[in-house]
Amino acid sequence: MVRAALIILGKDLRLRMRDRSVLLFAVVVPLGLTALFSAILPDDQPRSVTAAVVDADGGEVADGFVDGVLPAVAADGIVTLVEVDDEAEARREVAAGDIDVAWLIPAGFSDEVGAGRATEITVLVAAGRVLPGEIARGVAEAYATQVGHVGLAVVTAAEVTGSAPGPEDVAAAAEQAAATPQVVRIAQEATATGDRLDSTSYLAAGMAAFFVFFVTQFGVTGLLEERQQGTMPRLLAAPIRPGAIHLGKIGGAFVLGLTSMTVLAVASSALLGADWGPAPGVAVLVVALVLAALGVLALVASFARTAEQAGNLQSAIAIVLGLLGGVFFPVPGDAELLRIASLLSPHGWFLRGLAELRATGDWTVVWPAAGAIVAFGIVAAVPAVLRQRRASTW
Amino acid sequence: MTTTPSATAPVLSCEGLKKSYGGQPAVVEVGFDIAPGETFGLLGPNGAGKTTTISMIAGLLRPDAGSITVAGERMSPTAAAAKGAVGLVPQDLAIYPDLSARENLTFFGRLYGLAKQPLRTRTDEVLEVIGLTDRAGDRAGEFSGGMKRRLNIGIGLLHRPRLLILDEPTVGVDPQSRNAILESVEQLSGEGLAVLYTTHYMEEAERLCRRIAIVDQGRLIAEGTRRELVATLGEQDLVRLEVSGDAVAAAEACAGVEGVRSADVEESTVVCLMHGAGSRLASLLGVVAEQGASVTGVEVREPDLEDVFLHLTGKALRH
Repeated sequence: MVRAALIILGKDLRLRMRDRSVLLFAVVVPLGLTALFSAILPDDQPRSVTAAVVDADGGEVADGFVDGVLPAVAADGIVTLVEVDDEAEARREVAAGDIDVAWLIPAGFSDEVGAGRATEITVLVAAGRVLPGEIARGVAEAYATQVGHVGLAVVTAAEVTGSAPGPEDVAAAAEQAAATPQVVRIAQEATATGDRLDSTSYLAAGMAAFFVFFVTQFGVTGLLEERQQGTMPRLLAAPIRPGAIHLGKIGGAFVLGLTSMTVLAVASSALLGADWGPAPGVAVLVVALVLAALGVLALVASFARTAEQAGNLQSAIAIVLGLLGGVFFPVPGDAELLRIASLLSPHGWFLRGLAELRATGDWTVVWPAAGAIVAFGIVAAVPAVLRQRRASTW
Repeated sequence: MTTTPSATAPVLSCEGLKKSYGGQPAVVEVGFDIAPGETFGLLGPNGAGKTTTISMIAGLLRPDAGSITVAGERMSPTAAAAKGAVGLVPQDLAIYPDLSARENLTFFGRLYGLAKQPLRTRTDEVLEVIGLTDRAGDRAGEFSGGMKRRLNIGIGLLHRPRLLILDEPTVGVDPQSRNAILESVEQLSGEGLAVLYTTHYMEEAERLCRRIAIVDQGRLIAEGTRRELVATLGEQDLVRLEVSGDAVAAAEACAGVEGVRSADVEESTVVCLMHGAGSRLASLLGVVAEQGASVTGVEVREPDLEDVFLHLTGKALRH
């Protein structure tokens, strides 16, 4: 069965390569749109950042940030501070997109800084708030740098108090300061679909996800084309299992989809400077998305009577799912309904998975998104298989 | 209905075939045999059940009842050995227009399990047989209708089947290509290939087929050689009256004339099958005139297969 499926797959790929429209859908159009959009769209619109701070420490160093730095930044109009009771509330507000960012200062922060040990300020960033995230991080980093010097000053003062330092002591303290450039580290957490992807990467991934639903269509509608052009009876009359025909068609669609996305990932990285994240995670997400596309297309093919009908249905579905998933523009973090709707789209999960991947650099974080994407495909494929079983063979 | 067993073991043997769609019978108790080197004609109007019968024989459909044996193997949609013994040439062109003639042949040859070198040799042979050697590398979509038909047949021949099923192979082809196709079928039959041939063209059936079966409303209603089938009409004459006026009323009036066995209407022509046409022609013309119609042409001749078909089914074959 596999041999026959491979023969059919080979024939289909040969035909598709001669059909230049597949190259247009697979590479030229998505890459061109990515280049165009990334050229005309800025990364983010600047605006005031809505922010909260949770001070679990209450020490002097923390006070310096909460009562010194932040009011000054607020006075400049860069941030608008809102009050929250505790870390849990801050996380809820950020997750809901009600505030853009939150700084979390842990208990013992001041003591750790005083002792010269590493500690951290956590910056929570809401989904879709790229620029606010960068601003919040910048503010914290600036303070961390400052704290490093302050910490050094404290250490130096203590030494002065204990015994009068000589010039060599001051030099040693200076060396210590140089060796301790930043006592406070910044930890940044993505809360949801934080599209930590820059606009070019986001658009490239979005376009690839959008057009893979068109590219795979060529393989799946091939079944209908075989019926239309009269070759299906001849295939069914051959000494092969009927399942080999379906396997060959699905295999062809899978190869086309995978090739298209791989080419786009490589080309957008090489030509447009996009960065999709660590390759293993990207591969998992790409395979999941192609499988989901096949599931949807199988469902479409089971309803359509002609390849043209299937193409039209598929186009409509691809556009709706793409828009829901935010392939053209990121779903605004404060648009709760759209964010929920994006969970119904494999495109949305794909972009969410890539954002997590980029944010963490850990390829294993994509499994939940990949699982959701594959589940979407299975939900679509099951009725398609049931309908196919009921249908006559030709 | 079954045939008398051939002297040699039949390549195809079907018995009691039945197939229904949604409770509507499409094929009812159809059975016949085809011997090696025999071309068997299957005639019937559209919707008679020919395509369903062919589909079951080719393994595309599973019969509701009955059995099909091809080259000693029981046929079913999953019977690889039986399917490998059949070459199907569907009525609709079953070729890939964006592949060349050679690529079309190679693709189907590989599906039938032909190895690389034998496939290459066999492809060259078939291209020669169908007269497309010079155009082997050209896209099939650029071919004329006749060339496409020949390629369609060539694909069915590629794997050297024991039984070749030709479903209306000459529809829409020019006379030259049609003649080439008929000559090819005669040659293949002469080489021992069993052929199941359906056509709307009676002259093709008369030229190619040793035996002919007539199918109507899913049933095989007559079977035999041309002579045997014509003989079923007895010693009768066929009278064709071209009528200006109400042909149906004229036919009904003709049916009442002594010696007339049947009177049917073909467009504006009344077709009467009768004894003693020479002495009763005046009576026929008289009853037609009584119906207010006038006769614009008269033809009297011996009946042929077309007339047998019309007599048995009440329909012209090319409807």
